[in-house]
Amino acid sequence: MRTGIYLCSCGDSLPELIDFHRLQGELSRLEDVAYVKPVAYLCAEEGKQFLENDLGQQRPDRVVIAACSPREYERAFMQVLERAGLNPYFLQMVNIREQVAWVTPDISQATSKACAQIRAAAARVSLHQALIKTELEVCRDVVVIGAGPAGLRCALALAEAGRKVVLVERSPVLGGLPVRYEEIFPNLECGPCILEPMLGDLLHGPHSANIEVLTLAEVTGLKGYYGNFHVSVQQAPRYVDGELCIGCVDCIPPCPVQVPNEYNFGLDARRAIALPFLGALPNVPFLDARACLRSSGAECSLCRDACPVDGAIRYDEPARFIERTAGAVVVATGSALMDCRGLPELGYGTVPGVYTSLEFERILASNGPTGGELKRPGGPSPRSIAIIHCAGSLDERRQPYCSGICCDYAFKFNQLVEKKLPGTTILHLYKELVFPGKEEFSIYQRARRNPHASFIRYAPGRLAVSASGGAAAVQYEDPAGNRGREVVDMVVLCPAITRTEDGGGLARILGAPTDRFGFFQELHGRMDPVQSRVKGIYLAGSCQRPMDIQNAVVQGMSAAGYVLSGLADGRKLEIEPITAQVDDNRCSGCRVCGAVCPYQAIGFQPERGQASINALLCHGCGTCAAGCPAGAIQGSHFTSEQILAEIEAVLA
Amino acid sequence: MIEVQTSPDSLSVPHTFEPKIVGFLCNWCSYAGADKAGAAQLSYPPHVRIVRLMCSGRVDPHFVLQAYRDGADGVLILACHAGDCHYQEGNFRAAQRHRMLLRLLAQFGIEEARCRFDSVSAGEGEKFVRVVSETVAAVRALGPLKRPAIDQAIPHSPPPE
Ligand SMILES: Cc1cc2nc3c(=O)[nH]c(=O)nc-3n(C[C@H](O)[C@H](O)[C@H](O)COP(=O)(O)OP(=O)(O)OC[C@H]3O[C@@H](n4cnc5c(N)ncnc54)[C@H](O)[C@@H]3O)c2cc1C
Repeated sequence: MRTGIYLCSCGDSLPELIDFHRLQGELSRLEDVAYVKPVAYLCAEEGKQFLENDLGQQRPDRVVIAACSPREYERAFMQVLERAGLNPYFLQMVNIREQVAWVTPDISQATSKACAQIRAAAARVSLHQALIKTELEVCRDVVVIGAGPAGLRCALALAEAGRKVVLVERSPVLGGLPVRYEEIFPNLECGPCILEPMLGDLLHGPHSANIEVLTLAEVTGLKGYYGNFHVSVQQAPRYVDGELCIGCVDCIPPCPVQVPNEYNFGLDARRAIALPFLGALPNVPFLDARACLRSSGAECSLCRDACPVDGAIRYDEPARFIERTAGAVVVATGSALMDCRGLPELGYGTVPGVYTSLEFERILASNGPTGGELKRPGGPSPRSIAIIHCAGSLDERRQPYCSGICCDYAFKFNQLVEKKLPGTTILHLYKELVFPGKEEFSIYQRARRNPHASFIRYAPGRLAVSASGGAAAVQYEDPAGNRGREVVDMVVLCPAITRTEDGGGLARILGAPTDRFGFFQELHGRMDPVQSRVKGIYLAGSCQRPMDIQNAVVQGMSAAGYVLSGLADGRKLEIEPITAQVDDNRCSGCRVCGAVCPYQAIGFQPERGQASINALLCHGCGTCAAGCPAGAIQGSHFTSEQILAEIEAVLA
Repeated sequence: MIEVQTSPDSLSVPHTFEPKIVGFLCNWCSYAGADKAGAAQLSYPPHVRIVRLMCSGRVDPHFVLQAYRDGADGVLILACHAGDCHYQEGNFRAAQRHRMLLRLLAQFGIEEARCRFDSVSAGEGEKFVRVVSETVAAVRALGPLKRPAIDQAIPHSPPPE
């Protein structure tokens, strides 16, 4: 073994603080050290050129560079080694500048410390193994789950870049929550109007051939990993053939069945064959098999009889089990409202006239249960409305966070109410008010200018809604202890935004962790909010945290960017060699490693009863290596042998 | 060096005992914190010898024991602050293992002050200097580690590779 040591003098400065002569003398005597060379500026272009030439001539087996911080230059010097024909991992750097010379006033002490650190590096580097980046063929197709604004934007961007996309949407309708809104804050544009162009592109745009849209579909299984996922999708039958259906909806009126319409949150009824609401895309009715009389054996075929297209309605359509390969998966499954039945003091479900904000959106919508008339479905129009912000939010016992969008839509409601029923009294009751953003404050200002609106802060836990005749009585106490009571015709709750009901189930299927609130957990809240904890699974939209449409589409685009840069065209996937490996001869299958791995990189092989590490998912932190009670895991480039040699030599 | 500051543990006072301390630093926060101290040219005692690891979660308790065995009088494990770990939760594992280690070390008669765990962020050059200075002073006050006890207690064989 011949190790070459280079001492960078950082110009003339370091030899004034560290005795380079003594250093050279002591280090030269070490076993395996072939030479010790001072160099003026290793980091300069000439310095790197010198290093490359010198390595070529000296042909050492291993290299130690004592200079400044490896955090700055290690990668640059590794490239020099590579150019000189050496494995780049045959290098160990020592920081004799920031961690020795500049912090140790006594030159003799500084020299001793530098000597010990370089000695340790030499001992360690002699044990370094040649590591090579491996490359993997990948699939560049993508599965996007959820067709709200985030998923749509992502799917469209990927399709435009030429990627094949499978868009998996659970409901029969595309567009997510906002297609249910009449108007969108901050500028009160019509919801369907801003989404329809996107949906049009998706279904019939220039790149729509790249997108396979699966409605009434859910992901039921995920195998494999980044670059090569195998995704299982189960698609329920629609019983109406989207290719043949002409969207005339003649099939709907003859249906004799009436069930609550879940797409209007049960505020009205629909038939067994139905569109979720007028204008829903794709414009193809679906047949709800559970509600259909045929499910109880009846020979009803009224819808099919009414259909002008032969074969468009198929009662025998089977469920489809679809398998797709994808390099990456984007989760864009959105969020839900907190279940208000868990807030009994607010009267939801018990006091008449109390609605959630999503129900109220439908009441305002012209394709909703009241045809856009502002009134209780089947009841009168209100003369007064209380809008209760922060329902279940900012509450340590419920959801401690602020959902961030409720104030915005509450003030949107304010304007829509004033537009639809001028003069209606509106009471905003809030714990806190927030409206960050360049447009959002103006919605609040407009609400403030509404002469029929008042704004009252209530103290947490000091608000209750009870029945008062046919109306609702809202009792509250402000933070100063002043109490109030108002009787209103309608109450709108703005509940905390939470994860979707089956969010946990999907997280389990994907193996992607959720945070303490149940949202999908990002890799890093600031720097990597769109990557999940599992490589190759990205998060877009309000499945990651509550957010507005603008942020949701930004995240959708961002997830597409991650896919396009990570699984770039014409390039294989590189696997970093600093990863952990399991020694099969030692692994007893205790699974401690899997429990401490933050990246789901460690699987368990039931046949062999042993752990196995997926190099692609491993980030090389070494926590598993330190945790393995049998010493069966080694972290490459940070093996126990290497670290122990370094410890021994640094203390010698 | 622009200006040499005297560290809290004044270097001018002669000491009879110069402790050897191994400092395990994670690459992302505490090693960067040490770099920051250097960039600010804050001086501190030279007794801590640095071993850089990618994550404090890599600190196998065995490494700590072996450090004592190889002649260390003290060990310093520096990690990112809670919630800041580059690898999500390696620092949390390191803290858990450190608590376990202290119990074990007590059995061998090794004082707590000889094995310090702390958090230093990439920006905390001054905290790095303080932690190092305090550790050196504490270990110095304890005197050399009693070798025979540790040699008996900890088998010399390296861990199974
Ligand atoms: C009452 C209310 C009013 C609002 N008003 C506005 C407004 O005016 N302006 C504004 O900017 N924002 C508004 N928002 C916020 C807006 O709704 C969200 O920003 C937006 O819906 C987020 O889009 P998304 O794509 O992340 O999720 P979503 O719109 O929720 O879409 C998610 C999609 O994923 C599907 N899905 C869910 N789970 C699965 C699964 N397991 N498998 C397959 N598919 C699944 C869902 O069916 C849905 O189609 C409002 C929110 C509320 C609650």
